[in-house]
Amino acid sequence: MSHFWSFLAGLPIFVASVALFILMGLTFCDVLFRSLFNAPIEAATEVTRLLMAVIVFSVLPQVSVQKKHIAVDLCDGLFQFLRLERLRDGVLFLICSVLMVWPAWRVLVLAERARDYGDVTEYLGIPTFWVGWFIALTLGTTALALLVHGLRTLLSHACEPDAGGTP
Amino acid sequence: MTAAVIGFFAVLALVLLRMPIAFAMGFVGVLGFAWERGGSIVSERGLKAALSMVSRQTMDTAQDYGLSVIPLFILMGFFVNKGGMARDLYRVSNAFLGHFRGGLAMATVAACGGFSAICGSSLATAATMSKVAMPEMRRYGYADTLSTAAIAAGGTLGILIPPSVVLVIYGLLTESSIGKLFMAGVLPGLLGILFYLLAVRWSVWQRPQVGPAGQRASTRERLEALRAVWAVLLLFFLVIGGLYGAFDVAPLNLTFSPTEAAGMGATGAFVIALSRGGLSLESVFDVLKETTLTTAALFAVLIGAQTFSNFINLAGLPEALIALVTAFDVPAFVVMGMILCIYLILGCIFESLSMMLLTVPIFFPLVTSLGYDPIWFGIVVVVVTEISLITPPIGLNVFVLKGVVGSVSTATIFRGVTPFWIADLFRLALLVLVPWIVLVLPQQME
Repeated sequence: MSHFWSFLAGLPIFVASVALFILMGLTFCDVLFRSLFNAPIEAATEVTRLLMAVIVFSVLPQVSVQKKHIAVDLCDGLFQFLRLERLRDGVLFLICSVLMVWPAWRVLVLAERARDYGDVTEYLGIPTFWVGWFIALTLGTTALALLVHGLRTLLSHACEPDAGGTP
Repeated sequence: MTAAVIGFFAVLALVLLRMPIAFAMGFVGVLGFAWERGGSIVSERGLKAALSMVSRQTMDTAQDYGLSVIPLFILMGFFVNKGGMARDLYRVSNAFLGHFRGGLAMATVAACGGFSAICGSSLATAATMSKVAMPEMRRYGYADTLSTAAIAAGGTLGILIPPSVVLVIYGLLTESSIGKLFMAGVLPGLLGILFYLLAVRWSVWQRPQVGPAGQRASTRERLEALRAVWAVLLLFFLVIGGLYGAFDVAPLNLTFSPTEAAGMGATGAFVIALSRGGLSLESVFDVLKETTLTTAALFAVLIGAQTFSNFINLAGLPEALIALVTAFDVPAFVVMGMILCIYLILGCIFESLSMMLLTVPIFFPLVTSLGYDPIWFGIVVVVVTEISLITPPIGLNVFVLKGVVGSVSTATIFRGVTPFWIADLFRLALLVLVPWIVLVLPQQME
């Protein structure tokens, strides 16, 4: 079972990595075809946009729970001294989780609207609500991951024998 | 305007509590937007408008064609790193400069400059060069003050010498030409190298024991070292030449957009790293993984910053600032001086990108209304940001260096970095007083 979970956790990174490699190759081939054969890849711009969405949002849950977001650690020493680091991290994870629910829900609304209108991309005719669904799904997963991580961090803070107060 | 000022300080407070900058700016941006639209942060109408704005922003930013330049340039930097090109650059600088007193530190600065030309991040430049240059300088008995300072300062060149991720983001934020911004960064970057070399000379002139001279390399050794960097030079020429229109001649007729230049650069770096045997399937995957994680973090900040910027604009802060300056009839150079001081202070809290994202939407309209050139302002902001990377007490490059080297105290690094910091202030003054240095190359593109 644990194999399954580690496979599941690694899958988004694998997908994003493959998308990035394709993006690199696509841009290279587009320039090459345009200069040598005067035949640019017409759908390149569109595919680039789709690949970007995959690259950015696939790994968002990992970036969020692994604390890879850009943050200022100026006051870390103070929190460590007060032994409030885990409490602070737990609370921040929970707040960020709630903040993720908002855009996830609104993006889903936008995607549903695009589905009603029958919007499709220009060259490849891909329904745009797929992209919306994908983004909403990743934002929702991020919210869930942050929630679980936040609760675990808070619980571990509470279970720590000397936690919760000044030294 | 009051709401915008409160919002600004709210972001500052949240960030100091270690909330990720993306979330802090997004959160305050949404609440502020709701306040401006609905008269209260809990009004249904206001919140709905704010949430629509942020979700639209999220979808648009992540699917922006122009922004695909960011992961591609980051990827190029990572591949360059894997290809061992930093070592080659250091070897060649060393072969030419190593026999001077303080020569290894000078070689470090020069190699940092060269590495910046293929990598768009200051922190990456400092981290990479410290692994390459630090052992060598220790071997020759260099004092830790000088060796670490040369790396920390040299590393800051990463965000100025093209390609630069920060300049790309400035360009997208202000709708300025990224090609021109890159060109504008070249001369101030070279000037930075020159000033840092002088700072090294000054350090060894003051205390000769901190940087003893190394062995003089033979002509053969120099030629061999040069041969190893041809690929790096080619890569730089491919990317910057393509952007500049150097290949716009028959039969190629080729000019790159920034995204295309980044794609060509990333592919080029991949091929070079592959040909040197520095890549296994696993390391390619590692590079791709690191790039996607960095990209996602950058985009999160970008989306947060744009949300915050929408609120600031709706609250009318830029207009209010312009009105304030006009009402008091403050001379333009005084305003610019104040803005630069604010940047230097903020630089003690924020890292470069977040600082730029937070402040450019506020100051850019004011600066252009005063008649300053947008491209020039971009470069000046980046130079100020560079200075903040080595400013006590929290210059980020210094901490990166401490993380990699370990055994040196931050106080030692800051002590050594002082001459470099002063050199930077001189350079900033020169760029402010003589904008020609920044603008002469981009003007050639017109």
